[in-house]
Amino acid sequence: MNVLITGGGSGIGAATAKRLADRHVVVIADRNKAAADAVAAEIVSAGGKAIAVEVDVSSAVSVKAMMEAIPGVARPLGGLFNNAGINIRQPIDEITELGWDAVVNTHVKGVLLVSQAVLPEMLAAKRGVVVNTASDYSIIGAPGLGAYCAAKAAVYSLTKVMAMEFTSRGIRVNAVGPGPIDTPMLRAGRAPAEAEARLEMHKAKIPMKRMGRPEEVAAVVDFLLSERASYIAGQIIHPNGGLVMW
Amino acid sequence: MGESLQKGLDTSGLAYVVTGAGSGINLAITRALLAAGCTVAAWDVKAGALAAEKSARLHFTAIDVRDKAAMVKAADESATRCGGIAGLVAGAGVMVHAPFLEISEADFDRTLAINLKGPMLTVQAVLPHLRAAGKGSIVMFASMLARYAGLNAGDYIASKGGVLGLARTLALELAETGIRVNTVSPMVIDTPMPQAVYSRERMEARGKSSPMGRLGTVDDVAAGVLFLLSDDASFVTGQDLRVNGGERLF
Repeated sequence: MNVLITGGGSGIGAATAKRLADRHVVVIADRNKAAADAVAAEIVSAGGKAIAVEVDVSSAVSVKAMMEAIPGVARPLGGLFNNAGINIRQPIDEITELGWDAVVNTHVKGVLLVSQAVLPEMLAAKRGVVVNTASDYSIIGAPGLGAYCAAKAAVYSLTKVMAMEFTSRGIRVNAVGPGPIDTPMLRAGRAPAEAEARLEMHKAKIPMKRMGRPEEVAAVVDFLLSERASYIAGQIIHPNGGLVMW
Repeated sequence: MGESLQKGLDTSGLAYVVTGAGSGINLAITRALLAAGCTVAAWDVKAGALAAEKSARLHFTAIDVRDKAAMVKAADESATRCGGIAGLVAGAGVMVHAPFLEISEADFDRTLAINLKGPMLTVQAVLPHLRAAGKGSIVMFASMLARYAGLNAGDYIASKGGVLGLARTLALELAETGIRVNTVSPMVIDTPMPQAVYSRERMEARGKSSPMGRLGTVDDVAAGVLFLLSDDASFVTGQDLRVNGGERLF
């Protein structure tokens, strides 16, 4: 199967690309092309098939260019992992319109635009599988993360609507909802000591008393993309160490 | 199963205990575990279709999940024979098909004893061996009906709602021990339980009207259970995996 992974240049996306590459051709899309190139090179040097492309998922023009850049050897796309995401940390009364747009457009509009671009190939083949990266924050709130929580709740909503619209046409759509995972996004914008303090704060709240690893999210994504999840659609699976149960 | 065969399960010979293993979904789980190279301690009141299974890695014990002493003995024997226990599928369950006011007290007590107290007692019997191993995975069966309700199954739905609470509590209590606890909530699966209540025509119509155009199969559910048992779910605990064909979303 040919699988497109957005946000594939780092963190959960990169771990998923590496996990899938022993069986699938992976297309690693990232706004940071150098990061996507590095992940693809690592996979290729390990004997796998990977292609790196550049994309800003919040831009229809960029998504169109990405689709044109994906070569025939990776078509048709049978799997899609909508994973690109960014974060800002601002209390609601301080969220800027710019920051809000950046977060919501990347997570929510990004899922819409990339799915709209890829789904025609899946519909033509009458089969396909999509996984969207939602979050524990699709379900709960968190102070200072208003834009992120709103965006992730919206991603889960889109997941359900996509499942309702496409399941009967042979395409399974689900979400993965990670809890606190030790990724570059979590550390971004924080000094190392501050990042470590943040990790310790998370760990104290997680029933398992440890952070999750990107590979542990990748394993869930792999499950959802595979035939093992043949009767699962419209669902969200939370690798979160027991932080949110519902 | 090819590409879809679950990895990350114990194949060194440790036992996976499966209750209710003689029929339905639990039978499929037992077969899937055997196919994946695992060893299974299969418990049920009757061997059922398991009697025809020929595998040196299958150990059947006639047992009722209301009998804690028998389960403690069986768990100890399994641990001794197999070198330990890797996981538990507390799957045994029953259902009485009756309108609310016609559910007898005896039937209600029996359903709760098997579906809710049963997993609790089974865990109490098996848990010491998982603690000794310092890891393990427990899967219990809830149901989509625990969230949506349905007609003529008050006893069953009450018990399955209870399982959700029981499993989450256990997940919290065990989270730091390396032992994970999750539930699976199937929609209508083509098994003896609904077959005893609904006609074949009604079952087929039910499947056709679902988003996937078919009923769920025991293999669909077994694959989800094997995922939760495996190391692929290493950061997944306290969760409810809904294997429902996209039918009920919220």
